[in-house]
Amino acid sequence: MFRMFKKIIQYPRVTQVYPKGPLDTGLFRGTPEIDPNLCTQCGICLKRCPTGAIVHGESPQHIGINYDTCIFCNLCVEVCPTCAAHNAPTFELAKKFRSELRLTPIVVEERDLPDVSYAVIEDLLQQKIKSIFGRSLHIREVDAGSCNACDLEINALNNPVNDLTRLGMHFVASPRHADMLLVTGTATRNMELALVKTLNAVPEPKLVVAVGACACSGGIFRDSYATRNGIDGIVPVDVYVPGCPPRPQAILYGILKALDRI
Amino acid sequence: MKHSECKKHLIEYEQNLRDTFPLFIHHSVVRNGRELSLDISANEIREIAAYVNVQLDGTLISLFACDERHNSGDYIIRYVFCCRKSGVLIVLNTAIQPEASQFISIADQVHAAALYEREIHDLFGLIPIGHPYAKPLVFHGNWPNGNYPLRKDFAINDKPPFVDGVSSFLKISGDGVYEIPVGPVHAGIIEPGHFRFSLAGEPIQNLEAQLYFTHKGIEKLSEGMSFERGFYLSERISGDETFTNSLAYCLAIERIAGVEVPERAEYLRVLYAELERLTCHMGDLVGICLDVAFGFGAFQFRLLRNWCYQLADLLCGSRFLRSVNVPGGIRNDHVAGNETEILKRLAELKRELDDTAEIIRHQTMLTDRIENTGVLAEKTAFDLNAVGPAARASGCSYDIRKVLPYAAYDKLTFDIPVLSGGDVAARMKIKLEECYQSISLMIQVVETLPQGPGSLPIENLPAGQSAFGITEAPRGESVHWLMTGTDGNISRYKVRTPSFCNWPVLCYAVAGNIVPDFPLINKSFNLSYAGNDL
Repeated sequence: MFRMFKKIIQYPRVTQVYPKGPLDTGLFRGTPEIDPNLCTQCGICLKRCPTGAIVHGESPQHIGINYDTCIFCNLCVEVCPTCAAHNAPTFELAKKFRSELRLTPIVVEERDLPDVSYAVIEDLLQQKIKSIFGRSLHIREVDAGSCNACDLEINALNNPVNDLTRLGMHFVASPRHADMLLVTGTATRNMELALVKTLNAVPEPKLVVAVGACACSGGIFRDSYATRNGIDGIVPVDVYVPGCPPRPQAILYGILKALDRI
Repeated sequence: MKHSECKKHLIEYEQNLRDTFPLFIHHSVVRNGRELSLDISANEIREIAAYVNVQLDGTLISLFACDERHNSGDYIIRYVFCCRKSGVLIVLNTAIQPEASQFISIADQVHAAALYEREIHDLFGLIPIGHPYAKPLVFHGNWPNGNYPLRKDFAINDKPPFVDGVSSFLKISGDGVYEIPVGPVHAGIIEPGHFRFSLAGEPIQNLEAQLYFTHKGIEKLSEGMSFERGFYLSERISGDETFTNSLAYCLAIERIAGVEVPERAEYLRVLYAELERLTCHMGDLVGICLDVAFGFGAFQFRLLRNWCYQLADLLCGSRFLRSVNVPGGIRNDHVAGNETEILKRLAELKRELDDTAEIIRHQTMLTDRIENTGVLAEKTAFDLNAVGPAARASGCSYDIRKVLPYAAYDKLTFDIPVLSGGDVAARMKIKLEECYQSISLMIQVVETLPQGPGSLPIENLPAGQSAFGITEAPRGESVHWLMTGTDGNISRYKVRTPSFCNWPVLCYAVAGNIVPDFPLINKSFNLSYAGNDL
């Protein structure tokens, strides 16, 4: 017992200060970005992108990345002849609307599962609710068919370095106790019903955060007989967190964004 | 196993089989120096498979079908056996006519074949005659009959309508017997899967697991992909086996291309693979401690796991070692110049692991729960081809790094810990011991790393070639098989991760234990649902 206590007090604080302070991104590979000033429109990155995330913007001179589809494999950075494609040390990429992650417009497929009525809550009430959530948030995680990397990063939010509980948030075992659903994975054919039932079991008001490229757009598993191109076809999403997988701090940023704390 | 020794064994086995079954072997070829591939009559598969399994000491490590109707007019089913003592592979190929669409099941003799045959049935529509439990595996009653995704004439994004079907489970009848269904959404932050327990009182009488909730159609997605794109798919089969899956893929591509990777790349691959093993095992230890409510142990191992991730950041900028491998070697060399820092961090990790292991060794709240729980018998483990630390804790001493060495493993010294208890405590001890072995391997690599290029470019692949890439993932033996089509792109990619073999074994290990011990036993195996479901 004594040795346990001695070990517990051995280290000074290991928890990082983010989000209250900055994060050291020195060793991160980072986000791929295309600098329009250096780009010669050779189109090599466009052709070789594994998920087709690199697209022409409004004008053919403008080549950019749809981050909801990007799997952060860095192939574009490796093959770019002019170094226009480079890595930027950003990780706070979460957005409320999927269109903000993209260069080209997106058509979300019609919801085709049996209807569930989502109560429409007024704006003012929504703000009040979010300020309460911000002080104590109960999160339920659902894996709707991911490779598990995003789940492991969500798990990492519980370790002493990230420590979600210091921000008043913790994970719960039942959707009935939850305020927010963190969903990873494309909604596979066998998991569609389970995902919708879990969402229905969460009492109002509720928030849904799509974590990872698979949940945003299907990722590298797009257009298969067993997957959907993103979960927003069957559940309403409040925040999209791109990444493959997104770092724990990026997921944290996404959660705080959903609460309007950022 | 030296090349010449392999050749000797292969010649011996071929002669043996030709003498025993003179009329049934049509064609034989040796591939890639260690694979004996035989075309045999489909009707004789039971006899020949049983002979290879028992007399030639070959364990069934994979069984899969290929739709070759556009080539030879038939489906081909391949039975892959690994002769562990001699370090060679024997592959039996049988041709199945499309008009018949059925094949003879070998599951009652070679028990490990059972799940593979059910998978072939669901994905190809070939019926296993005589299978003891031919229940649908991949689709849960929502899939209409007659649609078989891995046939070449099924388009990848063809989504048949949902039908209203129900999955049936084995029912046990008797006084006081009841069922507990768990999942697919589990209480923790974990992948989905459904478990149906049959109990009388507290002890579990039977457990049936229904998986494939995360089935994404990876094998079908890979068909037609360039080998560059297929690489990114192979990395994302299972998150914490990213590096070993991509390594197995690269090994297969390199064999097909006939390319030998530079020595520096072979050593670096060992470094990253062992880092992944260390990270994965730390996660298992977290899980075991959490499920017995031993908070101190859980948080210590969580801290250690985070240190492993930080080391991964230093080594490549990606916590999951993504985009590190490339067919032909390693992409970028981040080790050069960082050797002192890496060794310093490894020494810190070892010290902290020593301290933690010493403290938890004597904690009765832990040992009480983990000793004699979830015992896996050695015979069961061997019959069902259990792999990895779970099998090594039950006496099956089998590690691909020694049997079919790859990368630089044959040049480095390490031990394979084996125990015979088969309970949770044994699995935990094996994982701890493997952590030490991994750290020792990583230190050896950093100290003896040769200079040289990190990779060789591979431009195109020859058409119609196939090869295996077999690695030892943190969970066990991972078997990947690739075949190229006429355009040099991927025509068939068969993946079998270690979790596929170990899930049925888990169902045997829980028998007789109480329900509250199930999460603990599950975590002690720590199987990947995504690696099983593909």
